[in-house]
Amino acid sequence: MKIVVCIKQVPNTDTVKIDPKTNNLVRSNVEGIINSFDRNAIEAALELRQQAGGTITLLSMGPDSYITSLRDGLAMGADSAILLSSRKFGGADTLATAYVLSEAIKKIGDVDLILFGRQSVDADTGQVGPIVAEDLQLPQVTFAESLELQDNNQLTGHRLLDNVVQEVKVKLPAVITVRSEMNSPRYETPLNIQKSFEKEITIWSENELAVDPTQIGQAGSPTVVKRIFSPEKAGRQTQMLPNNAKDAVAQLLADLNN
Amino acid sequence: MNNEIWVFVQLNGQNVEPTSLQLITKARDIAGDRPVVALVAETESMNVEATVKEYGPDKMVILKDDQFHNASDGEIADALDQVVTDLKPNSLLFPATVLGRSVAPRLQAKLKTGLTADCLDIYFDGDDLVQVKPTYGDDIMCEIICPDVRPQMATIRPNTFKAVKAATDTETVNYSFTFHPEANIEVVSETPVINSAANISDAKTVIALGRGANNEKVIAKAEKLAGKLGGMVGVSRPLTDNEGFSHENQIGQSGNTIAPDLLINFGISGAVQYAVGIENAKQIVSINTDAKAPIFDKSDYAFVGDADEFMSALLDQVR
Ligand SMILES: Cc1cc2nc3c(=O)[nH]c(=O)nc-3n(C[C@H](O)[C@H](O)[C@H](O)COP(=O)(O)OP(=O)(O)OC[C@H]3O[C@@H](n4cnc5c(N)ncnc54)[C@H](O)[C@@H]3O)c2cc1C
Ligand SMILES: Nc1ncnc2c1ncn2[C@@H]1O[C@H](COP(=O)(O)O)[C@@H](O)[C@H]1O
Repeated sequence: MKIVVCIKQVPNTDTVKIDPKTNNLVRSNVEGIINSFDRNAIEAALELRQQAGGTITLLSMGPDSYITSLRDGLAMGADSAILLSSRKFGGADTLATAYVLSEAIKKIGDVDLILFGRQSVDADTGQVGPIVAEDLQLPQVTFAESLELQDNNQLTGHRLLDNVVQEVKVKLPAVITVRSEMNSPRYETPLNIQKSFEKEITIWSENELAVDPTQIGQAGSPTVVKRIFSPEKAGRQTQMLPNNAKDAVAQLLADLNN
Repeated sequence: MNNEIWVFVQLNGQNVEPTSLQLITKARDIAGDRPVVALVAETESMNVEATVKEYGPDKMVILKDDQFHNASDGEIADALDQVVTDLKPNSLLFPATVLGRSVAPRLQAKLKTGLTADCLDIYFDGDDLVQVKPTYGDDIMCEIICPDVRPQMATIRPNTFKAVKAATDTETVNYSFTFHPEANIEVVSETPVINSAANISDAKTVIALGRGANNEKVIAKAEKLAGKLGGMVGVSRPLTDNEGFSHENQIGQSGNTIAPDLLINFGISGAVQYAVGIENAKQIVSINTDAKAPIFDKSDYAFVGDADEFMSALLDQVR
């Protein structure tokens, strides 16, 4: 089975700040890591490769610093990695990102399965997977919490919709987006880390892909960020409860009952 | 091109998913003189029109086909593409549910337009639908527009707005389209989740646990307390790594927005990604050992002290 896992690198922090002067996000000095859900996608790929054989290629679009997380993914056990890197790809929203990823997947060729994380923790959209599925005219199982190989060209997945669990059968090739409930990503072993440095990371720019220049980067992105701001939160009138837990609870319950 | 705002009405079995109704109300609030249109895709035997109408859309566009039962994301997106491409709404809103977040981007890809995910607010600035969504980090919101392409698409966080009934003369349009089955995918079954009624978004009382209350003893007490109060236990994100909790229990930006009458936070610092999920709670009580914890600014009652101690006292005194 030929598997591609799309991974994104995200800042390793819960608190990115706004630069008060430029109103841009300050991302420098923050170490990059693999988007956590994408580790679940890599783990799913590793388990499928164990059952069905085949290869796992990691695919990421971003600046050269993304090599860090591709290297990490290789250390988890993926076979090879491709970085889609070019100034022209910069400023892409979900539509333009997915377009470039789709074109790269076409160039890789004969891919059976494309795995994504359920969403990235920074952009937080979960859109890139379904857009790639549409661009490549493939069936999708999004937010999958389980995945079973039926035979070599069919998978059964479960996903939790609002009040129901849906069981979905797909024939390959297909697109799956993976929830963290599906598995626990394995740790990198020293041996695999060492091996990862022998694996090659291929870099493609727009020159290696058959991309339409009007559909990539900022030019290909219909959305525009108008403003980034820190919202003023209407604070609540906070009443302090007594220091002693017993008295505090007594006062709270008396207040709430009124 | 027209100036209509369309709302995709999601169905859960025979019922209307509540966010869709919330979006009809919100669309009416921001519409000015723009017509609000509810877009319904249902099977022949279903008839949610009466329910949808109560919330006052100016028009309902209805797609009927029995194959909508257990339809795939791709099939739904294909049907919506036909009517949207034909009737060209100005804006198109989806609930940011699993279904909405799966179908909307496929439709976006067909229409080659923008889509903003998981918005907490929307408003018009001229003809631009300004879509407000939280983004990475502490207290950061983003305003996103899609200036040159229509429709302007957004998915909107459940329970962000309140659905309000409104009387209007609603025009009904039965739209004829062709259902194209997708070859390589089959929705085999849909099994209702056992305690589906017990969704944390609907709970009247929520006991929320954070990293400062992350031990078995406190968790067990919290379950007991929730039982006594007829409420549910929710968690901040770090606790979703625990065996007993999952994303379904998570409160916040990437979890659930809750709107209980009473919320009690134990050992939660109050990061903005958590705080956006609790703004609609009526009464908020927070327990934290750190008097400077940001959660206290967002609370009606503050107890500076140990989570376990306060929990035990509550268990003793609540009947
Ligand atoms: C894109 C993105 C999305 C996110 N989405 C979410 C989300 O949806 N929901 C969410 O919750 N988080 C989310 N986060 C993470 C969020 O930023 C915080 O990291 C998280 O909410 C912190 O959880 P916490 O308050 O439980 O833990 P901490 O921040 O570690 O706080 C623990 C608190 O417990 C207190 N404490 C310690 N011991 C005790 C004790 N014995 N008794 C009482 N108090 C004690 C401490 O003083 C501290 O204030 C998101 C982050 C990002 C980047
Ligand atoms: N720049 C990127 N390169 C590769 N994969 C990506 C990129 N951005 C997003 N993805 C994938 O798409 C998923 C959803 O991301 P998002 O739509 O940004 O929430 C992620 O979990 C990744 O699997």
